[in-house]
Amino acid sequence: MSNPTNSTKPAESVQRANGKPGWRLSLDVWAVALALALSFLVWSGVIKRIPW
Amino acid sequence: MADSIVLPQPYPESVFRRVVRLVPGIVLLAAVGYAGKFIEQSIALYGKSHRLALPNIEYVLWAIVIGLVIANTTGVPAAFRAGIATYEFWLKTGIVLLGSRFLLGDVLKLGGISLVLVAIEISVSIAFMHALGRAFKLRPKLTTLLAVGSSICGVSAIIAARGAIDAEDEDASFAIAAILTLGAISLFVFPLIGHSLHMTDVSYGLWAGLGIDNTAEVTAAGALYSDTAAKVAVLAKTARNAMIGFVVLAYAIHWARKERGEGVSNKAAFLWTKFPKFVLGFLLISALATAGAFTKPQLGSLANLSRWAFLLTFAGVGLRTNFADLRRQGLRPFVVGALGEIVIAVLTLGLVFAAGHFLHS
Repeated sequence: MSNPTNSTKPAESVQRANGKPGWRLSLDVWAVALALALSFLVWSGVIKRIPW
Repeated sequence: MADSIVLPQPYPESVFRRVVRLVPGIVLLAAVGYAGKFIEQSIALYGKSHRLALPNIEYVLWAIVIGLVIANTTGVPAAFRAGIATYEFWLKTGIVLLGSRFLLGDVLKLGGISLVLVAIEISVSIAFMHALGRAFKLRPKLTTLLAVGSSICGVSAIIAARGAIDAEDEDASFAIAAILTLGAISLFVFPLIGHSLHMTDVSYGLWAGLGIDNTAEVTAAGALYSDTAAKVAVLAKTARNAMIGFVVLAYAIHWARKERGEGVSNKAAFLWTKFPKFVLGFLLISALATAGAFTKPQLGSLANLSRWAFLLTFAGVGLRTNFADLRRQGLRPFVVGALGEIVIAVLTLGLVFAAGHFLHS
């Protein structure tokens, strides 16, 4: 019978060997982070004016 | 053993490579979008200098048309595709920044009206799509995906529902192709109908937000009408997007019970996973703007940043639409989707006119 503890390790190993992190930020979170960062730069005066 | 694990490639390099792979496509998005803006400005300048009354064709339309021409003639080389796919990221960034142009009170008022209309629209359109699916003998899960796509928010909703109901990839491809084709058609048809009915900016924006499926097409259809219409369309669509978790959860429970006799164990976690987080960012920026955190010039800069983000999105809408691919997906899902869209467009138009009193009070 397979040991449940051992059976999980290869999966983790494969995941780590593939270089994939266990979790990822979603597209939405990245979009919100960029928008907030840009808003902060505008608010703090680092970005003075954005023309259109 | 953990010690014997083969070390992965260094994470920073992997991130760096991924970012580098996006650059050509993002540059193409910027070039196509800016070309649209340049053409609009050049025509306006020519008309002004020669005292000619030329029609003002918005950069939105130029960017989409240039993108469509490239995608359907020369095609988009593989090196550009990853970057072009970021158009949805720019769309969401633009929506969050657009929050700076709304006072929270307006968001609550318009969003509240939108939510009531959205609830009616979703109920009727899901029921109608299922009746159509049965009449056209579509596979039940394909019908579910089409119903989710046309009633809530297009491609994102289909992708969220595909995992939740364990649908076939082929069904998801059919549904996405149908929704994208119909979105592209709506983009051109909605402004024409809006103008012929002399709709106000707010009414038209609300209609576009409720009636068109995909957020990118909603934003473009709103911007083609007017700046205010674009704002209202995005807000109405955001209210619609917020419902995605509830509808997908209901379908997940239905299919889990039907196929495996199970339920969904943690409903709150499921709802949080499916909830579009950019809605929270939009509300946060709107709250900051309402609280007076930004000066007037700063609000102008944030609005312009939002416009630049949308410019990349509009270019992406054209560049990712390939009519040959869409034709290959077959006619029946498209016919079901199209009939559904027409009914939803008429229904939401009726709802918007009925809500006219509340909108303009």
